[in-house]
Amino acid sequence: MAASSSGPRVPVEERLFSLVLALLATEAGLTKNEILSTVQGYRQRYKAGGDNANLERQFERDKDDIRELGVPLETVDAPGDAGNNQTLRYRIPRGAYELPHDISFTSDETTLLNLAAMVWREGSLSGESRRALLKLRSLGVVAEEPVLGYAPRVRLRDAAFDPLNTALERHLVVRFPYLKPGEVAAREREVVPLALVQYQGRWHLSAEETAFGTQVAGTRKMFLLRRIVGAVTAGAVAPAPIGDQAALALADLEEIWERCIAEVEVSCDTDAATRLANRRGTEELSVAPDGSVRTLRLHYVDGAILADELAGFGPEVLVLSPPELRSAVIERLERTERDHG
Amino acid sequence: MAEFQARDKLAFLLSLVPWLMEHDGATVAQAAEHFGVSPQQIRDAVQLIAVSGVPGDTDAYQHGDLFDINWDAFEERDEIVLTNLVAIDDSPRFSAREATALIAGLQYLSSLPENAGSVTLARLTAKLSRGASAQPAQVGVEEVAGGATLALIRDAAARGVQLELDYLDSAGHRERRRVDPLRVESFDDDWYLRGWCHLREAVRTFRLDRISNAVITEAPIEHRVGEVRLPDRLFETSPEDLEVTIEVAPAAMPLLVDYIPDGATSTEVGGRIRTTLRVSHFHGLKRLIASMPGVATVVAPPSARAAVAEWAAAGAARYR
Repeated sequence: MAASSSGPRVPVEERLFSLVLALLATEAGLTKNEILSTVQGYRQRYKAGGDNANLERQFERDKDDIRELGVPLETVDAPGDAGNNQTLRYRIPRGAYELPHDISFTSDETTLLNLAAMVWREGSLSGESRRALLKLRSLGVVAEEPVLGYAPRVRLRDAAFDPLNTALERHLVVRFPYLKPGEVAAREREVVPLALVQYQGRWHLSAEETAFGTQVAGTRKMFLLRRIVGAVTAGAVAPAPIGDQAALALADLEEIWERCIAEVEVSCDTDAATRLANRRGTEELSVAPDGSVRTLRLHYVDGAILADELAGFGPEVLVLSPPELRSAVIERLERTERDHG
Repeated sequence: MAEFQARDKLAFLLSLVPWLMEHDGATVAQAAEHFGVSPQQIRDAVQLIAVSGVPGDTDAYQHGDLFDINWDAFEERDEIVLTNLVAIDDSPRFSAREATALIAGLQYLSSLPENAGSVTLARLTAKLSRGASAQPAQVGVEEVAGGATLALIRDAAARGVQLELDYLDSAGHRERRRVDPLRVESFDDDWYLRGWCHLREAVRTFRLDRISNAVITEAPIEHRVGEVRLPDRLFETSPEDLEVTIEVAPAAMPLLVDYIPDGATSTEVGGRIRTTLRVSHFHGLKRLIASMPGVATVVAPPSARAAVAEWAAAGAARYR
C-alpha cells in the first residue's frame, strides 16, 4: 500500500486508543477531516488534498469497533448545516462514557461476577465476558477466593444463537427453516425476536410471528434453537419490544412446565428412579407394597424431548400417561431396536 | 488470560489507566496479577500508554498532551508511576452485550449457595444495567436446580470435612461413598461434583442427580484443591476402555463430544458422521444411544450393537 510510505505503521490498538482519547478530550467534537489529519494512526497515512477513501473506510470500521465496546461515540450536526458529512462532528461525552460514580461492587459481588463470566467459555459471549471482567477489574476490587472451586458452563453450540442475538439487539425481523417434531420437512418461519432464554439446558427463542411482513401483537411463540435447521437471515427493522421479555419468556416456559404432566412407573434402585426423583418438581404418587416399583408425576415442557430422555432409561421406566407420550416412547424404543437388529 | 484481540487490547488499555491512577507506584507483577494477564502484557500496555495522548491545541502531540510515566522507576524497579494524565478520569461503562453476558451468567448461577438469593441477583442486575452504555439485550437463563445438594457440598468444603453419599452409577451399582469435595462443574443443566473418592482412592466425577442421602461427616478431608490434579476431561479414561464405532446425524455431534477421544477420525457416510466413542462399559452407551433414537446408531462391534438392541427391546417389551 502506497499510503504506508510515510512513517512506521501504528498498531491497531494504538490507533483505537488515540481515537478514544482525542474524542474524550474534545467538548465541541472533531470533524472527520480533523480526525484523519491529526489523530495518531490516521495522520501518518493522511494525504492533504489527496484521496483518503481507504482511510475513511478504516475510520468507519474503527467507529463500529469502538461502539461495540460500549464507548458512546456520538455525532453532532453543525448548527444550520444538518446532514452535511463534512461539518458533522464526532465526540465521546464523558458522562455517557464513564461508569456512574455511585456504582461500585463489593468483594462478594465481584466473586459472583467472576463466576458469572466463567459461565461463557465458548461462542461470542465468552469475548464479551472477558472484556466485562477487564472493566470490572479496572475498579480495583479484589474478589474473594471461593471455598469450593466452580467450573460452571453454559454451552452455546446452537449455530442460530449468534445471528439471533445480533437480530435481537438490532430489533430485526428474522427468517429461518424450523423443523417441528413429527414433521418431515422444515417450514420457513418469519418472526420478530423478543428474547433468547435457556430453559432446562436448551436455548429457546421467544418471538412474535409476522403476517404479510407486519408483526402480529400477542402471537408470542417459542422456538427451540436446535430445531432451527438452516441459516438465519435478518430482514427489516421492527419496533423494539417493551418490557422484560426474557422474564416473560421464562414465565411462559414455566407455565407450560406447570401444565404438562406425565405419570410414569419406575423400578426402584435404578438410574431412572434416582434421576427422575431428583428432577425438579417430581412428586411420588405411590409405592408398590413390596417396594419394587414407584409411581412418579413429572413436569415437562416438550413431549418429544421427554420421550427421548425416557427412552434412554429402557426397561427402567413405564409411561402411564399421557397416551401420546406413551406411544412416542414405544416408537423410539422400537426404532432403536430396529436400527440395531 | 488468552490471546487478546484488538478489541480486547483497547478494553484493557481503557481499564488499566484508571486502575493505575488509583494504584500509584504499583509494580508490573501486581498489575499482572490483578488483571490476570502476563507481566509482558502489562509492560507493553504501559509503554503504549506512556507515548499516547491527544493531538492538543497544536495538533502535534506536544509533550503536555501525552501521558507520561516515571521511566526510571519503570525500567529499574518495574514500578508504574503516571506523571502526566490525559483525557481519562474513570473506568468505562460496560457495553450492552457485556452486561447481557454477566446478567445471564448470574441468572444461571442464582441458586448457587454463594448467591444469597434473588435479592443479590436483582441488585447486581440493576447495577449492571445502569452501568451499561445501552440497554442489555433480552437473554435469560433458568436458574440451576439441585440447590440443596450444592449447599451441602459447599458446607462440607467450607468446613473441610468429607461428604458421605449414596451413588448409583450408570451400571446400576449403588454404593455408599466418602468424598473430599474438590470442584463443582456444570454443563447447562447437568451438574457434577468432582472429588477424591475414598472408596476408589482416586479422583471421581459424580452426577448430582445420581447422588442421594448425602450427609456431612466429622472426618477431615485428606485431599485439597491444588494438591490433586483434576483432569481436564470430566470422565476419566482408562486403557481398558472400549472403542465403539457409531454413526450420528451431524447436528447431534455436539452432544457426543465428551465421549469422543482426542485424535479420533470422523468420516462422512451418506450424510451421517461415522466416528469413535470411548466408553468404560456398555451400560452408559446403551442409555446414551437409546436417548437419541434415529439420530445415533452403533455400527460396531456387534456386542455393542446387541447391548443397545437388548436394552431397547426390554424397554419396548414392557408395553406389550
